[in-house]
Amino acid sequence: MWSQHRVVRNRVTLTLRAVLSSSAVLGAFAFPVHRPGPGTSAAALEDTLVTPPVLKNISTVPGTIEVNLAAAPARLALLPGHATDAYAYNGTVPGPTLEVHEGDHVIIHFRNELPEATTIHWHGLHIPADMDGSPLRPIGAGKQYDYKFTIPRGTAGTYWYHPHPDARTGYQIAMGLYGAIIVRDANDPLPASLPEKLLILSDNRFLPDGSPDIADPHSPQGQIDRENGREGNVLLVNGQVMPVIGIRSGEVQRWRVINVSAARIYRLAIPGQTLLHVGDDGGLFERPRELNEILLANSERVELLVRGSGPPGSQTTLQTLPYDRYDPHTRPANWEVSHDLLSLRYSDAPPVPPPALPAVMRIVTALDTSRVTARRVIVLSQELINGKTMDMNRVDVRSRLGATEIWEIDNVVTMDHPFHLHGFQFQILDRDGVPEPYRSWKDVVNVRKHQTVRVVVRFDDFPGKWMFHCHILDHEDHGMMGILEVRPPPVRRRM
Amino acid sequence: MSTPSRITVRHLTWILPLGAVLALASFRPLSSPKESEHSVRAQLLLGRTLVLNHDCNGCHGGADPASDGWLAGMKTPDQEFLIGPCAFKTGATPCFHTRPRNLTPDNATGLGRFSERQIFNSIRYGLRPEDTPDVTITSMTPGKGNFPANPHYLAPPMPWPGWRFMSDVELRAIAAYLKRGVKPVTNRVPDSEGPPDFWASAYTVEKIGRYPPPVFPTANEREPR
Repeated sequence: MWSQHRVVRNRVTLTLRAVLSSSAVLGAFAFPVHRPGPGTSAAALEDTLVTPPVLKNISTVPGTIEVNLAAAPARLALLPGHATDAYAYNGTVPGPTLEVHEGDHVIIHFRNELPEATTIHWHGLHIPADMDGSPLRPIGAGKQYDYKFTIPRGTAGTYWYHPHPDARTGYQIAMGLYGAIIVRDANDPLPASLPEKLLILSDNRFLPDGSPDIADPHSPQGQIDRENGREGNVLLVNGQVMPVIGIRSGEVQRWRVINVSAARIYRLAIPGQTLLHVGDDGGLFERPRELNEILLANSERVELLVRGSGPPGSQTTLQTLPYDRYDPHTRPANWEVSHDLLSLRYSDAPPVPPPALPAVMRIVTALDTSRVTARRVIVLSQELINGKTMDMNRVDVRSRLGATEIWEIDNVVTMDHPFHLHGFQFQILDRDGVPEPYRSWKDVVNVRKHQTVRVVVRFDDFPGKWMFHCHILDHEDHGMMGILEVRPPPVRRRM
Repeated sequence: MSTPSRITVRHLTWILPLGAVLALASFRPLSSPKESEHSVRAQLLLGRTLVLNHDCNGCHGGADPASDGWLAGMKTPDQEFLIGPCAFKTGATPCFHTRPRNLTPDNATGLGRFSERQIFNSIRYGLRPEDTPDVTITSMTPGKGNFPANPHYLAPPMPWPGWRFMSDVELRAIAAYLKRGVKPVTNRVPDSEGPPDFWASAYTVEKIGRYPPPVFPTANEREPR
């Protein structure tokens, strides 16, 4: 016992030194989140929220969407008011929205005008492996590639596209490369009269000149970014700080919300209002869920119905509440602060009667767990999956077409890791043994610290190599990724 | 009628080696399951002895292997370690709480999800198993020989700098005992708070000494007379 006390004493000096250096580091988090001054035009009720343009369809063939998309350096303001050198899809940040219908044939003529290799990953879409834009298929600087795929039936929902090159995903997204995908259903169960808003939530950290502050990986800030994921202190909606959405009392709006942040997990709430949660990553589910708040991890999407339950002329905000996803060693000092994302302002017009909403939206049929062909354990630890870092030449999980599998995703460390599987939507069975209260299609699940989540997935189509990884971009870029190979069924040879 | 074949010296050049190969091959089954069970048991018992004589349970729980909470980690707050000035003066800051973790092979709360190699690496190199790839490490220089470029170390007061000098055989035996010789116990120990390790420059050769140690005798030592 005496010797243990001696050990403690020996450690005191080094502890003090570590703490002194760390407090200087943590000071970086003390910068206030940028916020606009008090509203000057309280009477203006039009949205200041700018919606990204929709990619122009150059095809005249019905059922075919053909678009041109280029990633290129651009001079624009990632931090409003500060023009800087950035990357952009077709010159805008966020990139233009790819709007398609179920069943559409999609052709994207992609040009990489960046000074480095990139890919486009069509996050969440169920499409062939060679069209998935994984790091296995980089598109070199100056090269072109045609992404071609068909949007499967039954996949209407909100998705997004972003670069996915080896080790550079976080950098390229921080520089401005991200955009939304909306897959529409000709028979959408929600009334077409609901005003629709697209909200792409991102955060970023900037140098005084407005360029993204990407820390040297060997600096103390770089090490914190690597541990926590690079979290920004400027919170943006469609690239804007605190835009305004106007609403009329009684009106119901349909919001499609995407979290494209590298590491920030949003805990969304509108003070004084409840949210109707109607859709997840893979689209609408059966019955609306009324919630006070909703957690949106990296790359997750939700569809929310926001009801104008406030009185005419009033105002509220969409906020993200404090959420402790962090390891206690590197938790930022100011993590317990709420941030405003956008302002929701009620017009002075008298209330309108609320529209009728369907009680049942879309049946999500449960995958048959009695036909499970494999059960796998996927262990998430810091930057590792099953104790390994990513190797492009290694296959970590081998499966076959037609397989139904249960993946037990086991987080053994003290920070959250949002887990993403490419190409296939899954259903969450339970979290720490507690059955999921509703069923939806997911391609990302946030596995909380020391949590075990079980999901069921069916590899019904599209053989090939697929990534699965932590969607904290710094973790993904440092190899917290594995490869699933789905092989065609064995061919029976005639003797 | 054909001439009966005779074994000549010429034949022996291949018959003898073939016989030797067959004989060797036939010896392999002699290391029967029973024998390997026996050696695994011997390894686990060695690990058990080392766990006892290094007093792992002094912090990680249990008076002896028959007692409750054997190696199952902290169960009451008095098992916490205070790191920092508060260890000497109540209320002084900063104050970090280090909590002995559950060393039983429980998947959710213990070492069940770590390989024996990761446990070996944690005692030999002080590397936290959850931050360290499951690979064989051949260097102590960060970034070389699979030693992580950004090593994450076990929290003090884990005295791994001294325990590095156990032999490979001994460290493997400890890992084998913890993974295979102890029953899993579910006991969620709250996370240790620190101190933050990954920017600490404490675990350098200058501060904790070389591994392997310098050759005997150094200037401070002498050959027996």
